Amino acid sequence: MALLAAALLLATPPLRLPAMDGATHRLADYRGKVVLVNFWATWCEPCRTELPSIERLRAALAHEAFVVLAVQMGGSARTARDVAEELGLGFPMLLDRDSKVTEAWGVNLLPTTFLIAPDGAVASRQVGELDWSAPEARRRVEALLPRSTR
Amino acid sequence: MKRRELLVASIVAALPWRRLRAESGWRTFEVTTRAEISRPQGISRAWLPLPLGSASDWQRALGNAWSGNATRMEAMRVGTYGVPLLYAEWAADTQAPFVELKSKVSTRDRAADLTPSGAASLSRAEAALYTAPTESIPCDGLVRETALMRAAKGSRTDLDKGRAIYDWIVQNTVRDPKTRGCGTGNIKAMLESGNLGGKCADLNGLFVGFCRSLAIPARDVYGIRVASSTLGYKSLGTSSPVISKAQHCRAEFFVEGIGWVPVDPADVRKVILEEPPGNLTLQDPKVEAAHKRLFGSWEMNWLAFNTGHDVELPYSNGPKVPFLMYPNGETGGERLDQLDPDKFKYTITAREI
Repeated sequence: MALLAAALLLATPPLRLPAMDGATHRLADYRGKVVLVNFWATWCEPCRTELPSIERLRAALAHEAFVVLAVQMGGSARTARDVAEELGLGFPMLLDRDSKVTEAWGVNLLPTTFLIAPDGAVASRQVGELDWSAPEARRRVEALLPRSTR
Repeated sequence: MKRRELLVASIVAALPWRRLRAESGWRTFEVTTRAEISRPQGISRAWLPLPLGSASDWQRALGNAWSGNATRMEAMRVGTYGVPLLYAEWAADTQAPFVELKSKVSTRDRAADLTPSGAASLSRAEAALYTAPTESIPCDGLVRETALMRAAKGSRTDLDKGRAIYDWIVQNTVRDPKTRGCGTGNIKAMLESGNLGGKCADLNGLFVGFCRSLAIPARDVYGIRVASSTLGYKSLGTSSPVISKAQHCRAEFFVEGIGWVPVDPADVRKVILEEPPGNLTLQDPKVEAAHKRLFGSWEMNWLAFNTGHDVELPYSNGPKVPFLMYPNGETGGERLDQLDPDKFKYTITAREI
């Protein structure tokens, strides 16, 4: 029973959403890579503070098997594009227009960020703002990278 | 309808504010909202909140007039709560879509007589509406548990419970200046996280949720500040005729025999945070005065728009909004950022007339 509960906690909900450029992204397509899935919203000021640090992390690990997917709760291509331009973000901004994916992932506080291991399992969940470019956060990501890319 | 005919579509009554001037305490304001769809793509739409239409002894809507280059402009009331709004729609080829709304409203300071008279009661339907959960305000689980076991613990009458909940919110929450806009009012998330920081939609949302969870009718009242405070609180009024970011929601709860009781615990926390020199204590005389005053009365340098939750914007395929307090818009099926008047873009101004 305890094992079942642990398995349920670690189960990764599906994620399949369009980005602001119209391309559809599926989490399953990134198997073999570490994926940082960040949930944010336009009205969330800490999210806007946090997003540039995720971009710095992405840039620092640009040559590694590391991907960032930002999921905008109540997504709108217009506002996602504005924020991406304003903050200089280079990762896909996915649009959760009806917030169903946000709900399916059990996110009720923003920002919330998941690290997905290369095997597709949820490795960690961070609730609240974090400086993802700080050494400690970067080490958390690097520890999950496949050996060949470390 | 031709554009020419839409330029002065209006439901303005015949100068009734002139009569109100003669009555004690009434002030009349003209609020102008100009919304423009920047970078339009395809069909564009806008939804602008209109002042609460029902007459009361503290607010009277005197009419709205609108103009612009929309192909359709229409005042409507939407949803269970009958939220009044102006809907504007522009065809895909419209250059520089804009709409300008002028609303005239008279307001008078409001104070409830907290002595039961036996006259005030709600219909069964109203009582059901104002005790029902909303998407952001569940009335069971942790909300009810906190109300029952902490906020209103030991209180017997509805008036006492309302007072206890008000005091609990003043004492246990904080105004978080980092919250964008007025917050989202997601009180379930606040209680689950233990983070009781936020702004008016959050803090007064807690008040409404706690009351509703105890079967006391309560409602958020969404609106906007239109003038400075005459009570010496710089933080509780506007400092300029431009009020694009002056939205503020308040709360009411209903007591049989008394009626709707106005409260505003969120503004007590605003006084604590913002009145000079800042971060005042609960014992500061200015805070004590606000704490006392904002249970049972509102200074009406503010006007009410509506009491609606989970508002579905007509003709939009986008998500519901938790409440309609800001202008909303979309273009090419994509929502604009209602909290960013500079990008949307919109300007709201107010003047006393």
